[in-house]
Amino acid sequence: MDKAVHYLAQALMYALFFVPLVYISHLPTHHHMDDDVAVLKVAIRHPGKIIGECTSVIAGEGHGMRPAAMQRVTEICPRERSPLQLELIIDGETLYHATIPATGLHSDGISSMYQQFTVPTGPHHLQLRMNDDVAVDGYTWQLDQDIELQPAQVMVANFKEGFRLQ
Amino acid sequence: MKVLIRRGFNALDSLFSKAFTPAWNPMYQLGAMSFFYFWIVAATGVYLFIFFETSISGAHASMEYISVEQWYLAGIMRSFHRYASAAMGICVTLHLLREYARDRYSGVRWFSWVSGIPLLWLLFASAIGGYWLVWDVQAQYIAITTAQWFDWLPIMVDPMASNFLNEATLSDRFFSLLVFLHIGIPLSLLLGMFIHIKRISGARTNPAKGLAAGTLLAMLAVSLWQPALSQAPANLDVAVTEIGLDWIFLNPYPLISSWGPGQTWALLVGLSCFLTILPWLPSRREQQTPVAVVDPENCNGCGWCLADCPYEAVTMKEHDYKKGHQQSVVDPNLCISCGICAGACPSSSPFRHVDELTTGISIPGFHIKELLSLTENKLSELGTDEPRIMVYGCDHGSVVDSMASNSVASISMPCTALVPPAFIDYVLRKELAEGVMISGCCEGDCHYRLGNEWMDQRFSKERMPILRTRVPRDKVRIRWLGEQGTKQLGLEVKEFQAHLLENVQADVQLDLVKIAEASNG
Ligand code: HEM
Ligand code: SF4
Ligand code: SF4
Repeated sequence: MDKAVHYLAQALMYALFFVPLVYISHLPTHHHMDDDVAVLKVAIRHPGKIIGECTSVIAGEGHGMRPAAMQRVTEICPRERSPLQLELIIDGETLYHATIPATGLHSDGISSMYQQFTVPTGPHHLQLRMNDDVAVDGYTWQLDQDIELQPAQVMVANFKEGFRLQ
Repeated sequence: MKVLIRRGFNALDSLFSKAFTPAWNPMYQLGAMSFFYFWIVAATGVYLFIFFETSISGAHASMEYISVEQWYLAGIMRSFHRYASAAMGICVTLHLLREYARDRYSGVRWFSWVSGIPLLWLLFASAIGGYWLVWDVQAQYIAITTAQWFDWLPIMVDPMASNFLNEATLSDRFFSLLVFLHIGIPLSLLLGMFIHIKRISGARTNPAKGLAAGTLLAMLAVSLWQPALSQAPANLDVAVTEIGLDWIFLNPYPLISSWGPGQTWALLVGLSCFLTILPWLPSRREQQTPVAVVDPENCNGCGWCLADCPYEAVTMKEHDYKKGHQQSVVDPNLCISCGICAGACPSSSPFRHVDELTTGISIPGFHIKELLSLTENKLSELGTDEPRIMVYGCDHGSVVDSMASNSVASISMPCTALVPPAFIDYVLRKELAEGVMISGCCEGDCHYRLGNEWMDQRFSKERMPILRTRVPRDKVRIRWLGEQGTKQLGLEVKEFQAHLLENVQADVQLDLVKIAEASNG
């Protein structure tokens, strides 16, 4: 009898431990985002234009070698890349404007960025502009588009030889 | 705050001890329970891995197979895997709070405390990785929010978020990395767990069998009642709006989106740093007293102190000057000044014919000769109307100071296992008192881990030095009632006196009968 009471008490304690545990392992639900907005993700991976031009150096002159070898041409090229200038405008309002530096120790890698925006659902006018060459004033790439966003829709803007919306 | 937490634990301890008995009380073995849950998670994880499809397109479907088609085995394994992780999270958190509230984190314990902190990160990372692999909407939320969190760090060259843009650009590459991490991180956790207990002798890594069995049964019941399931499959083309969330392991996530990734990093890293330096922050807890000192003259090299030291502070070496003999050495960086070694040393016997009691090993803060003079002086002041009781207690358990009276003497020391069994023999044989009461922390919850266990074993003659057979057992009581049992101990001392008085009267009566018989005959 005494033993039974003991085991019953233990069963109760196990229940007191595990029942709340089971509940908090999935409830209460978490409200992350409202239903009447959509998400616009802008993800750009793009190498800026190289700053400056290659200079040629002609090597191996006048050592009595055959002409073909004599005319080996070596090019010395700068490696530094332009940073990207990127701007996002929705319905005439600038949501994002930033300079994205090239990666790498010598700024010779690609530029890479990611940003996400919540935008109310419905029709919008979207503009994306980018400059990837410091030698050029103004924007080298542009996108102007009317879009219609659905509730909880995820729209991705990325770049591959031009802006693309998905 | 610490006092409040301690009171909470006192209440929980008593409640659990009633239902489970002290030997099975999970509150006394939270570290061991954490180990136990880890093994459950590891074993079930291996089984789940057989059926898990390690590709982003197949993961969710394979989890559905596990939970739906093979619910009777893989499904139950899955529930065990999830709920044991959650239970481990809770046990580890309670373990941390408890060590804090009971002041078991500073001094030489700093090593266990500090090495515990990375375990928290590894445990959370393991669990979050597990939820990620299911690739349901909760996993989608984890992916997006983790990316947001890590992309805040300036070390990220390529944004992590670009791995989870939409369904069209999704690839398996990152997912394979996750699978790898979900095996690698728990393995590092296990390694960390072993480092964590490295400086503790005979660390308790297995819970009591009855508790383990009960836990498995309870988990089976829970797994049948509420099997662990996935939520709807992830779809990166639709943003996450409302999801079920594991609040045990994912509780920092809502902070990342509502409060910001930088702030969340600051909070969690700040909290970890704070916990790391906590053992060295000034506080009102007692300061560590000088560590144990070996007296080679009185050490015969028996090694009993080594066997009893709970913190691996004692080693043996060749004797300083007795050739072919050994002696003990104390590492001051490991010694916690509990004095348990002094209670273990055969030289700590008050029967020795020496002018001043010395011994092989003792703590300067409470030397064995001090224990002897206190015992003799306090007992000599008692009246003889009632049976006299010597109450030995410790500074962390039942408060014995208040129990002193005309017939009761009490001495409090760092750990009651400091009292050599020979002292009890001495007190009773020399008729300094009629009874000896040993008290301390709750059974199974010694402040110095093993004190009450060693004491019980010395009394039951399972451990050296033993309480000799000639000591009448009805004149000695051991009551491990803890701080919360102080009142109870007071009552039991009174009851002990009444019991001894009865015995005395019975003896007197027996004597009278004998005298009468003798005169008749
Ligand atoms: C995976 C997580 C953990 C596991 C499995 C674990 C397990 C253990 C075990 C088995 C012991 C030995 C208990 C004994 O035999 O007396 C122990 C001791 C200890 N743990 Fe943990 N622990 C974990 C996390 C932590 C954390 C997060 C902290 C605090 C930051 C912590 C602080 C301590 C301290 C201070 C001790 C020493 C207690 C003493 O010396 O009396 N542990 N732990
Ligand atoms: S005082 Fe305690 S920790 Fe120090 S050597 Fe003795 S038994 Fe070990
Ligand atoms: S218990 Fe005493 S005699 Fe034995 S090794 Fe330790 S100090 Fe020496």
